Amino acid sequence: MSDETLPAGLAIFVVEDEALVALNLEAMLEDIGCRVIGPAMRFERAEQMMHEGLAADAAILDVNIGGRQVFDLARGLARRGIPIVFATGYGRDGMPGEWLDRPILQKPYVEREVRKALREAMAARQG
Amino acid sequence: MVLDRDFNYVAVNAAYEAATLRPRAELIGRNLFDLFPNPGEGGRQLRQSFDRVFATGKADTLAYIPYDIPRPAELGGGMEQRFWTAVHTPLRDEAGAVAWVVQNTVDVTDMVRLREAASLPFRAGATQLLERAREAEHQHRALIEESADFRRLFQQAPGFFAVLSGPEHVFTFTNDAYLRLIGGRSVIGMPIRTALPDIAGQGFYEMLDGVYQTGTPTGGEAMRVVLQRHPDEAPREVFLDFSYDAIRDGEGKITGVFVQGMDRTEAVRTQQRQRLLLDELNHRVKNTLATVQSIASQTLRAATDLASGRADFEARIIALSKAHNLLSAREWTSAQLAEIVEQELAAYDRGRFSAGGPDVTLSSKASIALALVIHELSTNAAKYGALSTPQGFVTLAWHLDEAEDGRLVIEWSERGGPPAQPPGKRGFGSRMINSVVLGELGGEFDSAYEAAGFSCRIAVPRDSIVPKHGHE
Repeated sequence: MSDETLPAGLAIFVVEDEALVALNLEAMLEDIGCRVIGPAMRFERAEQMMHEGLAADAAILDVNIGGRQVFDLARGLARRGIPIVFATGYGRDGMPGEWLDRPILQKPYVEREVRKALREAMAARQG
Repeated sequence: MVLDRDFNYVAVNAAYEAATLRPRAELIGRNLFDLFPNPGEGGRQLRQSFDRVFATGKADTLAYIPYDIPRPAELGGGMEQRFWTAVHTPLRDEAGAVAWVVQNTVDVTDMVRLREAASLPFRAGATQLLERAREAEHQHRALIEESADFRRLFQQAPGFFAVLSGPEHVFTFTNDAYLRLIGGRSVIGMPIRTALPDIAGQGFYEMLDGVYQTGTPTGGEAMRVVLQRHPDEAPREVFLDFSYDAIRDGEGKITGVFVQGMDRTEAVRTQQRQRLLLDELNHRVKNTLATVQSIASQTLRAATDLASGRADFEARIIALSKAHNLLSAREWTSAQLAEIVEQELAAYDRGRFSAGGPDVTLSSKASIALALVIHELSTNAAKYGALSTPQGFVTLAWHLDEAEDGRLVIEWSERGGPPAQPPGKRGFGSRMINSVVLGELGGEFDSAYEAAGFSCRIAVPRDSIVPKHGHE
């Protein structure tokens, strides 16, 4: 099994406030063989979905959701043991130290990078 | 003797009476320069010395001054050659202003003559000794002026300076810039640990100890210092370039530390602001590139052939770019819905459209989103709907729905074209509209594909609308 592969049928919670970027990520994830939960494009919606209980294998979170930082939501997901990948236009430099050990996708990103980030996030949880 | 500001005698003592050969009654209330006129060098020096005392409020010394005085008629008249030393001390009035000057003068004529006679018997008139005394006076004067100039330079220099003496680093000099830095606290005569307790734990005391002990200069660049002038005041962050250098006496023994530096806080703040702006710009560029990437990818996925894919891609990028134009005209804060609509419809025969509604200002996010939505709707009308035939007509109307919290409702209706067919597979246009309106804007999207033509209704919550000034 190549280290590029991911288990089939993973459920990925997507939080991204730009509809077009979300659409593209959705298409990439479907091509990888994942199932998309969401995408949630508004902060309140994302929080509501988390509190209703998510059967997510991992989450990809845009750092800035309509001007609000996503880290409160990320803490909630981390408490639930859900592996997290961040996506941001700022890149690694804009990340608070608390989250620097998580995989970070710098926008714009491609499918291969999404796959790699998801694999790292899930490996970290198992390790 | 004591003079007022006009150089009139206010008081004299017996020694002064004797030295000037004038009784007290002839002096009090009279002007010194009237009684003892001296248009030469001595008169000039004496007047300058008084002026310095009145101007600075500080004592002034004349080590040597030749000043001839008129001999009274009963003593033969004429001028008598005299040499003096004088110390001039200010006297202040109740308000603290220098009102008088006290002159303590000694007539050194005899001494000068004695020395002259003993040591330099061959010279007449101005002797070498006198020349030396005069030189000494000149040098003394020049030194005082030079050191005053230096003091003034240090005092007013843009950089900060302080002199710390001894192993406890006692402040003996601080210039204006240093005082501004520490908030005008009076620190002269105090050890630094007492004078500036707020910098404890930031490493500066220890650096000073090191310089005093080893003599090795030290310093820092744009170093962060937190200052707090009073315990009840908010700590203030400043950034300093500074150096600590050992001060040594004639034998090379370290006696203190010379502190100098520049307050770089403004420069550092400017740099930080620029950093923020650059980060924000980078963020926007990356997000826009991600949007363009998505448009490219989705357009190509849905394209039936390269030529139509290319045309669709370009048209979408242009729609995005035009929406950016509207936003940048308003510092990226908002745009008018009517402007967005007119801009998008400009590509078509405007006579085939009816478009209108109340003034609505949209947030930047909603502006981009709705520009792309209207672009997709008009493109579809041109390709498959009312605008694909010569007779078709499009009605675009919007209003604010007060019954639903003032949300924006946009209605699009095509008539006179071919019967509308639901898209076989969900093309990019309809997926994008759904995603933007439902997901990104949190609104509603209803569409109808009827024989009369396509129609749809878009509802957008009020948080996408910028309130008008003077309301809410």
